[in-house]
Amino acid sequence: MDEHTPNKDDFKDRIKKLTSDDFEKAIRIFQQRLDSGYAAFLNSCVRCGLCADSCHYYLANPEMESMPAYKLNLIAMVFKKYFTPVGKKLSRWVGAKELDRQLVEEWIDSLFGRCTLCGRCSLNCTMGINIPYIIRTARGALAEAGLVPPGLQSTVDTALKTGNNMGIAKEDWLETVEWLEEELQQELDDPNARLPVDEKGSKYLYTINPREAMFFPLSISAVAKIFYAANESWTFSSDNFDVTNYGLYSGDDDAAGIMSSRLIDSVKKLECQSLILAECGHGFNSNRWEAPEWLNRKYDFEVKSIIEVIGGYIREGRIQLDPSQHQKVVTLHDPCNLVRLGGLIEEQRFILQHAVTHFVEMTPNREKNYCCGGGGGQLAMTRFAERRIASGKIKADQVIQTGADVVVTPCHNCIDQFMELNKHYKLGIEIKTVSEIVADALVIPKKPA
Amino acid sequence: MLDILRYGVILSFCATFVILCYLVFKTYHFNKKKHYSKPQGSGLKGIIYALGKGLAPWEKESAVKHLPTYLAGILYHIGIFAAIFYLFSLVITFHIESLFATAIKILIIIGTLCGIGLLFKRFLKPHIRRISCPDDFASNLLVDGFLIISLMDAFVGSLRAVLFAVAIILILYIPLGKIRHCVFFFYSRILFGLFFGRRGVLPQKQWHTRSYNG
Repeated sequence: MDEHTPNKDDFKDRIKKLTSDDFEKAIRIFQQRLDSGYAAFLNSCVRCGLCADSCHYYLANPEMESMPAYKLNLIAMVFKKYFTPVGKKLSRWVGAKELDRQLVEEWIDSLFGRCTLCGRCSLNCTMGINIPYIIRTARGALAEAGLVPPGLQSTVDTALKTGNNMGIAKEDWLETVEWLEEELQQELDDPNARLPVDEKGSKYLYTINPREAMFFPLSISAVAKIFYAANESWTFSSDNFDVTNYGLYSGDDDAAGIMSSRLIDSVKKLECQSLILAECGHGFNSNRWEAPEWLNRKYDFEVKSIIEVIGGYIREGRIQLDPSQHQKVVTLHDPCNLVRLGGLIEEQRFILQHAVTHFVEMTPNREKNYCCGGGGGQLAMTRFAERRIASGKIKADQVIQTGADVVVTPCHNCIDQFMELNKHYKLGIEIKTVSEIVADALVIPKKPA
Repeated sequence: MLDILRYGVILSFCATFVILCYLVFKTYHFNKKKHYSKPQGSGLKGIIYALGKGLAPWEKESAVKHLPTYLAGILYHIGIFAAIFYLFSLVITFHIESLFATAIKILIIIGTLCGIGLLFKRFLKPHIRRISCPDDFASNLLVDGFLIISLMDAFVGSLRAVLFAVAIILILYIPLGKIRHCVFFFYSRILFGLFFGRRGVLPQKQWHTRSYNG
């Protein structure tokens, strides 16, 4: 949903019409979702402000509201007011504050509009406070009061209603797969090249970011080609193919749990051994790390990123790559949810080492990398678009410093942000996924006639 | 009178210790959650990193970029520990060798200067001032006062009653305000290490891949 529509005003009206019941509900959810760890974190901040310039929003525009310590303090105020004896009695002295309309507006502006939940501040916090997860908890309280910015909420709603965040109908999805299969068969000159759907007993259930089906079908073809080259047993699900989970960003654990449980259902229904996640940073964090917590259960199957699968193929010699296919200078952007918060740090580098000839690291990189600005649901919240593009300046500068022609990033949200940064900052770069790079470098032996 | 104050210091310390334990206990049971996701790295290694190497200034960009502030913070805390040690040497009455006593005095002087510097920074930097509450200033002032009086007593030796009185106020204030971070710091660092350790993010490994050409 475009937020530059009358809905934006409806949203302001919603804040005005908040009742004491709404506030109570929000606080109740805040308390429920706030685990003991977060409570410890909220007792720890000493407001030293050293975290300020670890945040790309603050670096791009040093406003106080963009300081991680400020954002955290907005939440700590409420925590102290409702859950600490000193905060209840000596509110002004310890900076405790009741959740009211003014604070709700500040929460929305700072917690939704100035944070991508990238976690860079956490890594740079002297105390080690997990700021993004606390912000996510506060977002969850806002979600309970119906105060998630409409664009982000509608993405969640669409996913809940239709099974995927783009609202792709099952027939359209199957038609796309069919069309891509035909293309692949032509390209490989092999009628046995497949994009299987609902094939029971396949080893892997592969999921995609629905944007791939709508706008980036080559990403899907690339993975299919890699699976073909590795002679892999895999399948799509006709119903549940969406790796994304915007519940991670809205803070709504219940919605997030529903989305992730659908993928589990498909793994079970299709009797697959592993759930393979497409190149999607937040999809990885959601389904690999957070979903078991949302659902309070351990998984009895493996959850892996396609990056780990491709890395495995290279190690096992199941695919051959010719790096000379890529002569341009390539750099890698580390998606926050995959790398800093996901722990998948080296595998994409290992793959690129085998797939391209000229690779340049960004500085800083890996878990210290800057967020591109596309995470945290920012791409769905057009009301904050200007800030998002401005905050991307840090990433644009990083790219320029590398002198790279191609930016590879294993995340579709990052790709979307990079496409906008490319235009806005005139970077003149190509943007690709790891799979696309690998698919282009694949050496597929000709079948004997 | 001095004896009463001496026992006051011990009692206030015990009371604060009990309250802090209660606070930690209460926080631990706030909403306990279990981890269900399969770990990729070691939580224990993460915790060891968080409480060890992870505290080194070169491990954090924020510390490197703000090295004077970061070092001032560390020296401030060393000064505080030195003053507390000095206080307990007076309360429990054990002798400190003169060389060691000199070292303690130096540490308290440096700590005091750093504490005052950090207080000024909080006053002068608009962004830091705006996110601060009265407790932030009061806590710093109280600790600085304690350091200054400790120092004066260490040099002059005639301010013992005042030192004990200030120490009682400071110790009793710990659980009420931001100084409670003296225990929550460790709590947070452990959780930080556990989170990034389980996920295989920290401790950072020795990177093998570098930029390359051809």
